[in-house]
Amino acid sequence: MIFIPMWDGSLGCSSYLVGDSAGGKALVVDPLQNLGADSYILSAAEQGLEIVAVVETHVHADHHSAARELAEKLGIHVSLSHKAPAAFAFNPLHDGDVIDLGYVSAQLWETPGHTPDSISLLIADTTRSQEPWAVLTGDSLFVGDVGRPDLADPTVDAVKAAARDQFQSVQRLMNLEDTTEIYPAHYGASACGGLFLNHKPMSTIGFERKWNRFVQLTDPEEFTNQLLALLKPPPEGAAAIRSENLGQDA
Amino acid sequence: MTAQEFLQTVQNGQSVFLDLRAPHAYSQSHPAGAYNFPFHRQNWGGAVKQALQGQTPPIGIFVDNSVVAAAAQESLVAAGLTVAFAFDKGLKAWQAENLPVEQVKDLTVDELRQNLDQYVVIDVREPYELRSGIIPGAVAIPMGQLQNRLNELDKSKAYAIVCASGNRSASVSSFMSQQGFDVSNVVGGMSLWIGSRHPVERP
Ligand SMILES: [Fe+2]
Repeated sequence: MIFIPMWDGSLGCSSYLVGDSAGGKALVVDPLQNLGADSYILSAAEQGLEIVAVVETHVHADHHSAARELAEKLGIHVSLSHKAPAAFAFNPLHDGDVIDLGYVSAQLWETPGHTPDSISLLIADTTRSQEPWAVLTGDSLFVGDVGRPDLADPTVDAVKAAARDQFQSVQRLMNLEDTTEIYPAHYGASACGGLFLNHKPMSTIGFERKWNRFVQLTDPEEFTNQLLALLKPPPEGAAAIRSENLGQDA
Repeated sequence: MTAQEFLQTVQNGQSVFLDLRAPHAYSQSHPAGAYNFPFHRQNWGGAVKQALQGQTPPIGIFVDNSVVAAAAQESLVAAGLTVAFAFDKGLKAWQAENLPVEQVKDLTVDELRQNLDQYVVIDVREPYELRSGIIPGAVAIPMGQLQNRLNELDKSKAYAIVCASGNRSASVSSFMSQQGFDVSNVVGGMSLWIGSRHPVERP
């Protein structure tokens, strides 16, 4: 498996190029406008990979996505959760869908909470094992933290419902083996996480099971209260960035 | 310059035609007369210049997207080379224009295991790499020696070419296919053969 994290430290954003070294097929997850659509095409070419899918773990509200530009240059559609309220034509993904890259595959879990359209991708390399080796958790589960529930819809009831969804999604991710690696969409100073979002860009299910304070909360009410108590200020221009990423720009 | 005109200059030995795509894509099918020179961002044009050993023929490039084509042209020009022709729409578009291609077959490790008796397997890795084991019955000919040892091979047989990961074998396969051999490239190479727990022999 070829697995290349592509980071933008200025906003604490992570994107990923994941491919099958044998067959040469690859997918890009959460491409960043700060790095530029071309950087993914050139990285893939350099690795001998052909990008066959561009996936967003959710519609972002904190940074500009390069997904549509990248997909356009490749002549494909962006893949998004079927729940994404996007204004452009996209390839809708459902729970259990598998993106097949040959010996490498990405299985999709819907993990709503941060947004209703949040998904996680379970990455397996069958030359090693059928078991997922890594999970790209988007903003569902972070290193030391979980994604904030208030960016898609900031009304009080919506935020509470989103926090309860986030609780369920985090619990579901904890069904994975301890050895599964976690690669979230954010780290460091990113405004998508809360107070405890770590600067380290990856972790494992086992480590978070032991040491992530939100994972350890077994009561959904307590989870919601803590999550709301630890919120940072929302990212600057969140609503405008989100609607642009949704293709709603005037 | 049209593709036809450019291909004529390649045939006359006046120009060099480079396929910038990955080895496995090149090995499946590529424009006739093109050499595989996969693009990278580390002074790629300089590497082309070095491979040309002091000659500066006009160069044509073939790839499947415009971003890589633009970066490659820039890199060639920066190295002091001339770009005479560029095609950035990939193989389907090339074939749709009825332009000539050369082809090599791909073989998965599982297909090879099942039909091992139908192939002569050539392992093109270096001698020190063979310690990891070779496919039972495989003939070891390092890539660098193959050109001089073609007379040992038989055009009536089916060859399967293997290396460590499938890259060197891709170049060897396309070279042998140009020489008129029936040849297949083993995708993923020995790392996948051994990874799939297929049997090996210790040389
Ligand atoms: Fe987010």
